[in-house]
Amino acid sequence: MNATVISIFIFIVGITLVITYFAAKRTNSASDFYTAGGGLTGWQNGLAIAGDYLSAASFLGIAGAIALFGFDGFLFSIGYLVAYLVVLFIVAEPLRNLGKYTLADMINARFNAKKVRGAAALSSITIVIFYMIAQLVGAGALIQLLFGIDYIWAVLLVGIMMTIYVLFGGMTATSWVQIIKAVLLMVGTVILSFLVLKNFNFNILDMFTQMKTATPHGEAYLSPGVKYKMPLDTISLMLALVLGTAGLPHILMRFFTVKDAKTARSSVMWATWIVGIFYVMTIFLGFGAAAFVGSDLITSTNPAGNMAAPLLAQALGGDILMSFISAVAFATILAVVAGLVLTGASAFAHDIYGQIIKKGQATERQQMLAARYASLGVSAFSILLAIFAQSLNVAFLVSLAFCIAASANLPVILYTIFWKRFNTTGAVSAILTGLISALVLVSLSPSVMNPVAGAAIFVGDPIFPLTNPALFSVPLGFIGGWVGTMLSKELDIKKYSEVNVRANTGGFRQL
Amino acid sequence: MTKVITENGSQQDARGEKEATHERPVVKEPDFQKIENSSNFRELMRKKKTFLISTTALFLGLYLLFNIVISYTNWLDAPFIGDITWVWVFAFSLFAMTWILVTVYMKKAEKFDAMAKATLKEFDYDEEETK
Repeated sequence: MNATVISIFIFIVGITLVITYFAAKRTNSASDFYTAGGGLTGWQNGLAIAGDYLSAASFLGIAGAIALFGFDGFLFSIGYLVAYLVVLFIVAEPLRNLGKYTLADMINARFNAKKVRGAAALSSITIVIFYMIAQLVGAGALIQLLFGIDYIWAVLLVGIMMTIYVLFGGMTATSWVQIIKAVLLMVGTVILSFLVLKNFNFNILDMFTQMKTATPHGEAYLSPGVKYKMPLDTISLMLALVLGTAGLPHILMRFFTVKDAKTARSSVMWATWIVGIFYVMTIFLGFGAAAFVGSDLITSTNPAGNMAAPLLAQALGGDILMSFISAVAFATILAVVAGLVLTGASAFAHDIYGQIIKKGQATERQQMLAARYASLGVSAFSILLAIFAQSLNVAFLVSLAFCIAASANLPVILYTIFWKRFNTTGAVSAILTGLISALVLVSLSPSVMNPVAGAAIFVGDPIFPLTNPALFSVPLGFIGGWVGTMLSKELDIKKYSEVNVRANTGGFRQL
Repeated sequence: MTKVITENGSQQDARGEKEATHERPVVKEPDFQKIENSSNFRELMRKKKTFLISTTALFLGLYLLFNIVISYTNWLDAPFIGDITWVWVFAFSLFAMTWILVTVYMKKAEKFDAMAKATLKEFDYDEEETK
């Protein structure tokens, strides 16, 4: 590691710390802490959503997957992007119109019951923890590789940085770190894509032809089926991707950082364009890495292919570009885990402490203290888990998080907005059925029980055949909500009218 | 002369009273069922649902169709131009579809906003006052 690498790293980390310093001075209320005072504009929040979404799994993972598996790697890009239509059409505006800080607030606009809030907080926390372990373990491996330091020190470094952002700067600092990171990521990806295209003489047709012989897969590289051979498994995974985004708590939380539904909508539009353009460029990164780095070097550096993009940067742009891309990857991980800590902390501090234990009577000072303690707690807990999860294959944790989000959160969101008959029992049973069925099915799946030693946590034949259970757990979440509703006679048509009018007009906000 | 003064006085009182009640429509719990049944709101919901249900069915349908076709068949492996096969064309058309639908929705949403505003105006709601 040379001086250039270190100085680029320190420069980028330094910028984010300066932001945190200024954000900390402006973070005086719970609203500032959770939602940056609700003052972000459409493009700012759009960039921040993109920043949250283009995690290390997207940036490093997809580039690596395309490099190693060709078209099958690109499948993720398609699912992640189309998912934004679900967010834009169904979730973003009603959520902004009904909610205040968290997903539970939005469901609570209709059912003022502790158990509903508790269940919603529980599913948010579960998703955040799975997502976070995956990010932190990935981060640890990456930093370990880049700096040549021990895994534990790498995780601690990332963990302490993210805690500083959240603890002192709250949502304002976290959002700006995400915005800057999104811009840097786009710049880095554009530069890399340009270099790749230049090496293919800017001839896309020629690039495809060359890819037929560039990898060990031969012609199959350009067609589906290299990685995903089981049709139902593929369809189930793709379903989790397209429906899960609309239930991811850290994405949903971003809609409370804007002032109204109109701004929430325009932030999704910005995010869709940015994320979409980025995913188109993942093809160049993946193809470029396969052609100019080679799959042998990619897999020998990191078996999952996560180093494909930094290696490509080194091959085409030398040490300086490699340092820049690595620093961007580092900032990416930091921004995403900071957003996750904030989401987990808000579920604990706002939902469980503020609304359930204190019944909404906590003073502003108590709320701020609770939020900060919760951030510390969530950070410490996830750092600890990440240290123990080092040897775990974590790729499935991200798709599990998407699966829970699609199975536990999406049904309850849809029913709350659209179904007049829906009631408290239905809301609790929708969340719990989705959450439990996703968890149980995954623990019986090949991701956890695999006959091949070392491929999963336990050795043995899986009881449930699909790696991702969304195809079953999403319908179960909807059925759970329906059965729960029917089992209870409770029906409040007046309350539904209120929610319906407020969600669709943006009027009568209860701030 | 005195008449005019009393008239002015009573007028002012009336206005003052109106302002006082007008200032807290949220505390006074609006009749949401009445709003829900108003023609403006019902028209908004009808248009919104028609648009959302049809487009959601379209994009989810195309997306799932794509995944089913590539999982179970080799139909899309046929070449489009050179070594670019139809599977890439379909994949990019899903990207294009996303961008097009986002743009279409942004236009549509402006109309929905205007209708929502008309509903709120009909029921004498002014957002500034609740803040």
